[in-house]
Amino acid sequence: MERSVCGATCEACGATSYPRHAVCPQCGGRKFTDLEIGGEATVLTYTDVYALAVDFETRYLRLAMVEFDSGLRATGQLLDDDPRIGKRVRTDVGVVRRPGDEKIEGLQFYPI
Amino acid sequence: MRPVYIVGAGMCKFGRSEISFSELMCLSSMVALEDANLGDVPVDGVVVANMGAARVNRQTAIASALVDQLCLYPATAEAVENGPASGASAFKVAVQAIASGMSDVMLVTGVEMMRAVNGLEGTDFVASLAHPEAEYIYGVTLPSLAGMFARLVMDRFGVERKHLAMVAIKNHDHAMMNPYAHIQQPITMEGILTAPEAVVNNPPIADPLHLFDCCPVSDGSASVILASQEAAERLGGVRVRVAGIGQATDTHAVHEREDPTDLKAVRIASQKAFTMAGLSQSDVDVVELHDAFTILEIAESEAAGFFERGKGHLALEQGETRLGGRLPINVSGGLKGRGHPVGATGVAQLVELTWQLRGDAGDRQVEDASVGFACNFGGFGNNVVASVLRREA
Repeated sequence: MERSVCGATCEACGATSYPRHAVCPQCGGRKFTDLEIGGEATVLTYTDVYALAVDFETRYLRLAMVEFDSGLRATGQLLDDDPRIGKRVRTDVGVVRRPGDEKIEGLQFYPI
Repeated sequence: MRPVYIVGAGMCKFGRSEISFSELMCLSSMVALEDANLGDVPVDGVVVANMGAARVNRQTAIASALVDQLCLYPATAEAVENGPASGASAFKVAVQAIASGMSDVMLVTGVEMMRAVNGLEGTDFVASLAHPEAEYIYGVTLPSLAGMFARLVMDRFGVERKHLAMVAIKNHDHAMMNPYAHIQQPITMEGILTAPEAVVNNPPIADPLHLFDCCPVSDGSASVILASQEAAERLGGVRVRVAGIGQATDTHAVHEREDPTDLKAVRIASQKAFTMAGLSQSDVDVVELHDAFTILEIAESEAAGFFERGKGHLALEQGETRLGGRLPINVSGGLKGRGHPVGATGVAQLVELTWQLRGDAGDRQVEDASVGFACNFGGFGNNVVASVLRREA
């Protein structure tokens, strides 16, 4: 099974984006190649959320926005007991949500 | 464009509704129609603002249902779903109908009955506005977006939890003067922040935001009647002119914004509304902002241009945004105190401004208010509608 989360690189201008758009935010191009999202990043902000949506059997979730060294950013689950703004993290892809028997995979950030 | 006037306004008390969805829509609509006292002037069209009836109340085509309840046939009817900005969006659609000359009198009703489902379902229904692949799957809910936003703003601009508490205390105090408000409960800095029991009274919801930083989940409806100049002149009374409306969008995923603390859509929508009105921020006497979370009142007060960036919390601290202050914000209680039936909120803001400009706001009346501003914040700032209303002699 392919374990990756992808953004897009515009074939016309080379601009990268995550998440994908139907049209390149920079040049309006419509052809893209997959851009795997991952690697090391810096925590931009985070929260422990207790107001949960359905599908989560936990008391709270720790979510974060991170910035990769490329400048791209992503939102995901932060698996770090000592979170702070500016901390370096590494990215993995794992199960982030379980609606019924389904398993949805996505970005998870761990301390380095 | 033809000038457009608000000639009637009404709402029900927000809170928990025991009546049916259709009855809830009718309630504020009938109050607003009575307020407008239309006589033999017909209603040409109805626009209903709502976000979740299809999912939460299992009812669709709700504007047709409202026309039927009110026997307004053959009036035009459509519903507008634009997330939490549905209310002001529906208002904008109705204003355009009159400004274009296609209609003369329009009814706009915002309605939401979200307490029909449990808290988990309700939170999930609102969370479904987040980016499906880049946010929602991770468990992102509106409180979590607000929590991440708040942490970043607090880190950069020196906003502290006490400032967030000041917004909550102010808006609860204001709501005590609003008989239509969901929350009628005075709170203190000790009770929600500084006393030892505050940890129990005010638990975290999306750290650094706590319970009293978040608006309640409410049912409710709010309505306005809009009219062309000719129709408004036939009706008489104090005229409230829709002086300007501005709308702007931004990226769906919050992390994709160049500066996630910059509420760019609020900035652009507000500028557009002021430009259309030919007025500026310094002309405004009374403001309704979309404080679904306390941090948003501070951030929107800056993005809408009332205070410099990073200075909104200082104006709050000085009491400038309280009733009696230089620029009263959310004298209705805001979303925090009045409540937040999602589709109704944008209309309720305009109902409050109408009452303020007509001098009908009772104990919470801002003295001699002649220009009002409202910001209806959709998504997490990815779709914002700003309105400027002005009293005409």
